[in-house]
Amino acid sequence: MRLMILILNGLTQGALFFVLGSGLTLAFGLMRVVNMSHGAFYLLGGYLGIAALKLSGSWTVALAAGGLSIALLGLVVERGMLARVREGADLSQTLLTIALSMIIADVALAIWGGHPLSIRSPAAITRPVTLFGLTYPGFRYVLMAIAVLIALLLWLILYRTRFGIAVRASVDDRETVSALGVRIDTIYSLMFMLSALLGGIAGVLGGTYLQLSPGEDTTILTYSLVVIIVGGLGSLLGTLVSALLLGQILSFGLAYAPEMSMFLVFVPMAIVLAIRPEGLFGRRT
Amino acid sequence: MTTEATRHATTIAAAIVVVALVALPAYVGQYTLTTFIRTIYFGFLALSVGLLLGQGGMISLTQTAFFGLSGYVIGLLGTERGFPSPIPELAGLAAVLLLAFVFGLVVMRTYGTVFLMLTLALGQICWSFVRQNTSLLHGWAGIRGIQPPSPFGLDLTQHAIFYWISLAAFGFGLLVLWRLAESPFGLALNGIRESPRRMSALGYPVFWLRVTAFVIAALYAGIGGILAAWSSGIVTPTAMQLSRTIWILLVVILGGAAHFWGPVLGTVIAVWLDVLISQLTPRYNTVIGIVFVAVILVAPNGILGVLEKIGAAGTGPGRWRRNLFVPRAAEAAPPTHGRGGHT
Amino acid sequence: MSKKVFAALVAAGLMAMPATGFAAGDSITIGLLSAFTGPFASFGQLQKEGAVLALEQAGYKVAGKTIKVIYADDQLDNEQAVTKAKQLVEQDKVDVLTGLVSGDEGLSVGSYMKGKNIPVVPMYSASEDMTMREWYPFIVRPTWTGAQPMDVFGYWLARTKGFKKIYMIGEDYSYPYNQGGGFKRGFLRGGGMEVKTIWHAVPTSDYSSLIGSIPLDQGYDAVLYNGAGSDAVAFVKQYVEFGMQNKIPLIGQSNTFEKPDLDSMPQEIVSAYSAHLTADDLDTPNWNKFRDAFKTRWDHSPSAASEFAYGCMNLILRGIEAQKGDVTDKAALVKAMRAVDMSDEPRGPVKLDEFNAAVENVYIRQVTLGKDGAMFNKGLVTAHDVSQFGPYDRAVYMKQPADGRTSPPELRSAMPAEMLQVAKDYEFVPFGK
Repeated sequence: MRLMILILNGLTQGALFFVLGSGLTLAFGLMRVVNMSHGAFYLLGGYLGIAALKLSGSWTVALAAGGLSIALLGLVVERGMLARVREGADLSQTLLTIALSMIIADVALAIWGGHPLSIRSPAAITRPVTLFGLTYPGFRYVLMAIAVLIALLLWLILYRTRFGIAVRASVDDRETVSALGVRIDTIYSLMFMLSALLGGIAGVLGGTYLQLSPGEDTTILTYSLVVIIVGGLGSLLGTLVSALLLGQILSFGLAYAPEMSMFLVFVPMAIVLAIRPEGLFGRRT
Repeated sequence: MTTEATRHATTIAAAIVVVALVALPAYVGQYTLTTFIRTIYFGFLALSVGLLLGQGGMISLTQTAFFGLSGYVIGLLGTERGFPSPIPELAGLAAVLLLAFVFGLVVMRTYGTVFLMLTLALGQICWSFVRQNTSLLHGWAGIRGIQPPSPFGLDLTQHAIFYWISLAAFGFGLLVLWRLAESPFGLALNGIRESPRRMSALGYPVFWLRVTAFVIAALYAGIGGILAAWSSGIVTPTAMQLSRTIWILLVVILGGAAHFWGPVLGTVIAVWLDVLISQLTPRYNTVIGIVFVAVILVAPNGILGVLEKIGAAGTGPGRWRRNLFVPRAAEAAPPTHGRGGHT
Repeated sequence: MSKKVFAALVAAGLMAMPATGFAAGDSITIGLLSAFTGPFASFGQLQKEGAVLALEQAGYKVAGKTIKVIYADDQLDNEQAVTKAKQLVEQDKVDVLTGLVSGDEGLSVGSYMKGKNIPVVPMYSASEDMTMREWYPFIVRPTWTGAQPMDVFGYWLARTKGFKKIYMIGEDYSYPYNQGGGFKRGFLRGGGMEVKTIWHAVPTSDYSSLIGSIPLDQGYDAVLYNGAGSDAVAFVKQYVEFGMQNKIPLIGQSNTFEKPDLDSMPQEIVSAYSAHLTADDLDTPNWNKFRDAFKTRWDHSPSAASEFAYGCMNLILRGIEAQKGDVTDKAALVKAMRAVDMSDEPRGPVKLDEFNAAVENVYIRQVTLGKDGAMFNKGLVTAHDVSQFGPYDRAVYMKQPADGRTSPPELRSAMPAEMLQVAKDYEFVPFGK
């Protein structure tokens, strides 16, 4: 019974990791930029979700608001800043996102204060659910379901839409795709927005079953990076696998070796990097 | 202006600055002195980042881990277990060198963004370990009660004496770094920054040169960490946390990563900005973040880069020969453009 | 030319560095260093509110001198705490340093302030060693230690409720060690058999693994959550979400159910016990006067953190007044503070022992649903004149190792005999007597 709970905890954590990592890895695959503000997007998305919940009283609205507002922010950031240094070395874009993360985190601190906050989900889905003799918080099942839904949607987008085809093609060969008349700039913007959307949604999800507080952004960023590095930069399948794996490691780590729970999450990363630096499913560059 | 006159002017200018710095305790208050000490130990950390970035062309986010490590070793061996100085300090530096070597072996096969992420991850491993380990390292509380030693009978708890020792160490460190930059090693590093492939083809042991640079840089960070631990009397996981790592990177770029003096200038500005801004608003991070965005968009070579453009600073010694954020025809590493993992 | 100008400017800038800090003159400066950011940020804010109320009631003036207060936020980081303390002492030249929320803030700052000869008045920081093993005469703490209320609590649970086994999950740092230590002493002395101890990192958001590991079949009478702030809110929420409240009742450390954190917790925890130096339904003239003034000023009822800050600030002000506004002799100021009569303290009469620590009432409370639909801590019983050493002889107490991760032991059988017997133990009177 206890084992089942730990596994379920790991799945919950893995679900959140997947939502976080998927956007980040896709953006990297396409744009060769690691969005170092991803953690800040998470935090801000969660906080905006809180604000939306206060105004509307609906958790679903909060989820949508958290995601869409960050998507909008992503658009502004991408067009306003990243596009400007695009022709420079990739590091400029990464550094810009680093600076941005500082600003967003500090502004969030100024607006929402230093005390940790959480998002109240509807009582109907929060109460303990007893399934096969196991009592487990209902919301966590909901979180897992949402993650599965997102995974399916992403797969559909990538493999069944023109946008997805253009993305996959651009990942392989930017110049040719551009020469074929596809607006690369638009693809980039849309992808960054998608990545931001997912970050914001993750913020609302995390803020509901856990908490939002200053400093959470750097922890989340670090976890996200570990997830995508282990999975393979640019690989969605890789993110899925590594998210599940790392979620279990974190869950069991917290139960059996709490003093090393974060450290244990980093170990697979070290192993992967030593043996197969491109990640589990990444392509060797 | 003739080269003779330039050199003459530079020497006079340098002399004025040195005198002013040495005589500092005579005419400033205690808190200002504390702030200068702070500038010095963060300056060591900045030099550490700057060496790798300016000369080596690599953005390393692990340096704060070394900064904290030496402090923790001093705390553990000196404060908690009573080993007499200089054993804890030497052990701290040895630990830093060892860890840097091990990390170097792991990271020096990568370049660019991947290198950045890897060093970030390694730095965070150290942070998370220190943060969560309570049985030995007291977790978030850290180790307190660290006292500086009394080498040769000097009382380092006196601000002025601590300042002079730190200043001397810093000056010496700068001198070593300068010589290093002009040495065959330094020049090889410059070459690796420009094109590792070419250097490899010419027969240079690129991997080992980079590892060596990493170890040297770590040493500087470690020294800074020792001074910081002595000065504040406490070492906590904060020394290694991501926001601190990011801050020091910004500091170096602000000063001008392409110049020898960039890290120092950046540290001076950032630390004093902290003192000034914190009296007006608690939004220091926002201000620094905005400054950084402006620097990257408008002046990627930092303040010294701007001064260079307007002719106030020279292109003489101390100026690495490339603009960091301008595209080059050949990329640094095995080509990374246009390729990615399959989805 | 330009190089010379540049260097000259730098040198001139250095020369022009102002010797910072202004002359004291007709004002007295108090530094309030607290955690306004982080998991215990609510306590920092409450502290400020209590302090400000006391200052406003005094009109920011004592014995003709103006009182200047400088607030500093150390973001609950010990390195920042020392850095800010340095700023307050060296730059702002404070005459008294107060504030401090968490145990480790207190210990770190206390360690730094040793030898600075400035009175340190911790308003909430409760690690006992500040007034025991690491004490020096400039520390004045008229508030509490971690063990003080918990020894009473443990004893009461074992003696009166007949509890035998407790499962304790706590935050891994000095203050919960101290709270847990006091609890173990009281509980095992009162007849309990075991206090199983599990520590977790601060802060932790996800308690699912910890909660999932609580054994349901080993006869634990209660789960004691030994933590506060956002950690407590998260733990309690998740405890209820897992349906544990119906299986093993929850009890808390002193701060677990403090308002306003209590308002964020689910109402399923009504009937949970805790112990503190205040209770939300105190009804004495002194408390009511304070509570009404506080409510008028801040729109909500005061909790312990605010009352402590209020009391400390008043102590400081009265000490200054006794010195007729002359704070140049800091040792004399401390002596004056020690001599202040604190029998009118809102939460109950307070006396100081020779370590400048408080001897006062401890209240056992229970979370109860109020008529207004909000939960509050209702007082059940009182223990009078509780010292930081509990019922123990102080020499015997201080001989024990300091409270830590593994001390005191978890089992009654491993407790040293001298800690299981005292000459005279607590006597409980009904709340309000």
